[in-house]
Formats: sequence, structure tokens, C-alpha cells
Amino acid sequence: MKILVYLKQVPHQDARLDISSDGTWIEESNIKFEINSYDTYALEEALKAKDSEGAEVVVVTAGQDRVTQALRTALGMGADRAIHIKDEAVDASDVLGVAKVLAAVAKEESPDLILTGLMSEDSGFAAIGPMIGEFAGIASTTAVVGIEREGGKLTVERELEGGNLEVVEINTPCLVSVQTGINQVRYASLKGIMQAKKKTIDVKTAADLGVGDAISPKLTTEKVSVPVKGETAELVEGSTDEIAAKLAAKIKELGLL
Amino acid sequence: MPSLSQQQMLEIFSGLVAVGSCLDDSESLKTYGKDWTTAWEPCPALILLPASTEEVQAIVGAANEHGVALVPSGGRTGLSGGAVAAKSEVIVALDRMNQLGEFDPVDRTVVCQAGVITGQLQAFAQDQGLVYPVDFASADSSQLGGNISTNAGGVKVIRYGTTRQWVAGLKVVTGKGDILDLNKGLVKNATGYDLRHLFIGAEGTLGFVVEATMQLTSTPKASSVLVLGVPDFLAMTNLLDAFRKAFDLMAFEFFSDRALNYVLARGGTRPFETVTPLYALLEIEHVSEKTLEEILEVFERVKLQGWVEEGVMSQSQEQAHALWQLREGISESIASKMPYKNDLSVRVSKLPAFIEELDEVVRRSYPDMETIWYGHLGDGNLHLNILKPEDQSQEHFFQTCNEVNRHVFEIVEKYGGSVSAEHGVGLLKKPHLNYTRSATEIEYMKSLKAVFDPNGIMNPGKLV
Repeated sequence: MKILVYLKQVPHQDARLDISSDGTWIEESNIKFEINSYDTYALEEALKAKDSEGAEVVVVTAGQDRVTQALRTALGMGADRAIHIKDEAVDASDVLGVAKVLAAVAKEESPDLILTGLMSEDSGFAAIGPMIGEFAGIASTTAVVGIEREGGKLTVERELEGGNLEVVEINTPCLVSVQTGINQVRYASLKGIMQAKKKTIDVKTAADLGVGDAISPKLTTEKVSVPVKGETAELVEGSTDEIAAKLAAKIKELGLL
Repeated sequence: MPSLSQQQMLEIFSGLVAVGSCLDDSESLKTYGKDWTTAWEPCPALILLPASTEEVQAIVGAANEHGVALVPSGGRTGLSGGAVAAKSEVIVALDRMNQLGEFDPVDRTVVCQAGVITGQLQAFAQDQGLVYPVDFASADSSQLGGNISTNAGGVKVIRYGTTRQWVAGLKVVTGKGDILDLNKGLVKNATGYDLRHLFIGAEGTLGFVVEATMQLTSTPKASSVLVLGVPDFLAMTNLLDAFRKAFDLMAFEFFSDRALNYVLARGGTRPFETVTPLYALLEIEHVSEKTLEEILEVFERVKLQGWVEEGVMSQSQEQAHALWQLREGISESIASKMPYKNDLSVRVSKLPAFIEELDEVVRRSYPDMETIWYGHLGDGNLHLNILKPEDQSQEHFFQTCNEVNRHVFEIVEKYGGSVSAEHGVGLLKKPHLNYTRSATEIEYMKSLKAVFDPNGIMNPGKLV
């Protein structure tokens, strides 16, 4: 069995974020990046399958040089192979463009199963999974909190609103995007990460995958900003009677009654 | 001190605090009369809950007039009996003085009343985009006044020092009843004796800490938590040296496999399958994009040296928290075994020889007892816990431990160490103070106490 796992490298949850000088993203220099936590659960699900029934686990990501850290960590945790889409055009593209490139990898690798996180913690579209499924021409399902595999079929539990679960059967090959908490993610072994230096990372561009002409962005970011703190809150102080009188006056002043 | 009846006590003190702030019901007396130690039966006369510095001053005045002993009380999370009232003392609990006052964004200081909970200050700092970096397992219940009075340390001392470093100013009510406003938040103040530092770590024997101006600092960058499997103490100290040379560490803690097993019995996951006698827990700030590579380089070096057998690194906040739990959960996991706790320290440079000698004594002296090692190795601070065998009475167990401890403390003395690194002296370590402080030094301490507390009303029987 071959399992493809799509990972994204995102800023560490504790990183201090500043807006970049062009105001369209965050300043990425000198902050710590880590694997998107949703994707770590997807990776763990693949590694569990490898441990129990044997599988080749291939991790894939797109981005600048720094993303090799994420791939090395995944290899250190037990993945067998890694593919790095290193292409400035892909970095400058949008979720649709990236999905086309990642789907092209899926077509080339022909995995039995694709796993990825439900969403990324930085841009949070929660769209790339189904998009990849569509472009790769395979079925996909999202927000999965439990997977059982039998033959060429998966039975998965999906998380719905209000604590409800939906059980879905899906034929492989397919793409499953997982919710956090589906498993307990193993720690990254330092020895493993060191040994992972010997494992292969294939570097590819969109052109290598035959989709170089199809990824110009249809979505551009106008502005990224920190929400302005509300200035309309007014603290009413005093004795209970004073507070009541002040509130009544305010309500009248605002014409709310 | 003259013995007054409960009724007399009530008459003297109840009018000095607000209605409902003088407690004498048995449940309150039991709760407020002790800390986290179990060796003493609480027996206070009254509990007073003042709401202001002036009320504290009035209580001190009355106590001096009538010769009544006072015990300051904070979150009562101490481990040395410093807040125990077992001799009909009046407890003055600062719970109601729990307000955060003026925050100065330029000085990055905030005024805190003594009853402010540590976690409350930490949360406030976070809201300002800053950090109050002193942290420990009891941060959600310990109070600042208690932290200051015991100079509390915790898990980040290697990076941020103890509470002492973060007290920019201090308001106290002395045992004589004077209100002193010490240092006034100044960074530089070369005007003679810094009385502020006398009250820090004084365990309430000189007076009451009623208010403190606490220093906050910049939030560190994101960090990673590592747990490494280590074969022995010598390798552990070599490891500390290797990582300290490469990084400005946020934490360097250690624990034994026995300690880990107690934590895992209550939940959690072993960090890796390889079982090693000891484990090191490190927290390293990612100061640049290269930090991860640098961690791996140092790991490779120490691995080649045989100082580490296996290691993992957190990949998320959840994993960092789970790894920290392996260390922070120890104390709670062994609590039911009535551990005899030792809280020893030596200079870091003396750790290898000190630990070797101590380990030998412990192995020889406690052949039938379980010993649990853990602590803040980066600060030279070891917590050695001896667990009570189930078939042994508590009295017999403590007697054995006390006898063996003489040998332990002799080694501490030989290496110029401390019999109480961070738990304080209180009642528990008072008989052993001479292993760390000379007789002359103790005499000076007593003389100092007499200056601030001439009638000896402040926490008598504790510390000196």
C-alpha cells in the first residue's frame, strides 16, 4: 500500500507574528515554523497504517527551502520518502493553484490513499483536500475522526456540528482530510531526524509535473491586519443605584428605548 | 507569649477587619492552619482576612500590644511548614488583598497586592504582550506574597532567576508595625542597604509583604521541548554543560525512570521506547531559523559521546505540554506514598562529585526504600524523595529518614550547598539550618529579626 501525506509548514503556535512590510502577509524571517498540527494527525494515521500492515508513506509539501525541515521531521518520524515542490510560482499561487500541483503529484504517484489535515492553521481555507481529490479524479471526504480499512474500502467517521458523527463508506483510492484528535501523534525522534538526512527528498517544480501553465492565482490578498481593539466599551462604575441610573441615561441617550 | 482565650482573641482582633473577615470555625482553622506539608496538626486560634495595608498594620499593632503570635498565610502551597499554625497563633491570610494595581508600560511593572495569585499575574502580563516568567506547578494557587517570602524558584530559574529578580519594589508592614515602601520600583538605587531583599525569602519572620511592584519582561520566541534518555548522572551533567554552551536554555530539568513510571501510571505516554535510568527535559528558544539545525548538531555530538541514548522533540504546543507533564506531574504522582522530601542544591560546577557521593549514601542507607530523583539540574537543585514502604509506620519512616538525612546534610555541607534550595526553611528545615548557615550567620539573622520584630510576634519558631 502506498499512502501520500500532504503537509504544510506553518508558523509555530507561539510565534510572535508581525505584518510584513507590504501588508499582505506576516513577516516570516526569524520565526519558528512547524508542521501544521492538523497534518501531523494525518501523518500519524499513515504511520500507524505502516506499523500495522506495512505501507510506503510519502510526504509532500510545497514551499521555500525552510520546508525541508518539516519533511525531515516527517521522515524522522517514520515516513519513507519526501517530495518537495520548490517553485516560486507555486508559492505565489493561490489555494486552487497549489491544489492543482499537489493533485499532479497524486497522479504521478498513484497512491492507494491520500491523507491530509482538515485545514491549515495559517490561512485556514479548509479547501485544499477536496480540491486535490477533484483534480486527481478520486473521491474525498473531510473532517474525519476515525478510519477503518477493509480491502479496497474505507469506513470513516466524520465530525458534524453539535457533536454528531456521520459514517461514510468510500472506495480507495481516495483522499481523507482528518480532524485533530483522531490519534495521538508520536514524538519526533531526534535520532530519527538525524538518520532522515540519508533519506531521499525529490525536488520538483510545477513544470516538472506538467501543470506549470495552470497555476496563475485567481485570488490575491489585499491586506492582512490585526483587528482593531474595540473603543466603544464603556465601564460603568459606582454603587448599584448609580450604575442603574447611568445605564438608564445611556440607553435613553442612544435612543434604544 | 501569654496565653489568651479564644474569646479574648476575638475581642482583640475581630473589630480590626471587616465583618465576615474573622473566622474561627473548625473547617477554616483546619484549612488555613497548614500548607502542603503533613507533619503538623493545624491548631490556629483565629483567621483574619485583612483588606488593606492599614488593617494589616492595625493587626500587627494589636498583636504587639497583647503579645500574640501571627502567621502570614498566602496560597499555602509551601513544603516546609512555613505557613503552619500549630500553636494557637493568629493567621493573617492575604486572600482579600488580591488586586492588580497600576501597570506602567514604560517601566513594564505592575503593582500587585500580596494575595494576587501567580497565574493571575502571568495572565495579566500576557494581556500586555509581556511575560511574568517565574513559573511552577502551583502557579494557579500560590500567591505573590508567599512567592516573595520564600523567594520561589520553579522551572525556568536557569533562564529567569528566582522571584527575587522580579521584585522592583516592595511594601511591607514590619513586625514593629511600621509601613516601609522599599526601592519604589527603581532599577538603580545606590542608597545603602536594600531592605527589600531582606524581606524576600524571610518567610514572614520580619513582617508582612503587603504589596509588590513586579517587573515584567518580553515574551520569548517560540520554543521546543526535548526529552533525552541519559545513562547516568555524570552523563547528565556533561549534557547540561554541552547544551548550556550552545543555547541560552529556558529549562534543564531531570527525572529518574522510577519517577517517570509513577507519572505514567496516572496517564501520559513514554517519550520513547528505550528505557534509561535518567531523563533530561530541556526547553530551548528558537532564536533564529537555524536553531533546529543547531539542536540536531548538539544532539549528534552528545550522542556520539554516549551521554544520550535516545531523544525526542516536541512538534506542537500539545506535545510540549505533554512532555512537561512528565516532569511536573511527579510530585503529585508520588504524593500518596508520603514522600520524605529533600530539596538540595550545590553550585552547578560541583554537581558531578556531589551527586556521586550522595547517590552512594542513598543507595547504602535506603536499600529497602524506593528513592525518586528529579529536579532542576540546571540550577544545581535536586529533589530527592524517599517513599514510605507500605508496611512501615509513618513515625518509624520519618525517624529513619531523619537519621539518614544527617549524612545527606553532611555531604551538602561538605560541598557548600543548601539544605533548602527553594522550599524554604519553615519548621521542617530549621533544625538543619546549621548545615548551610554558620552559627555566626544565624546569630546575625536572629539580630536582624529582633530589629524588625522586637517582640517576636512574626511567624515565631520558623526559619531562625
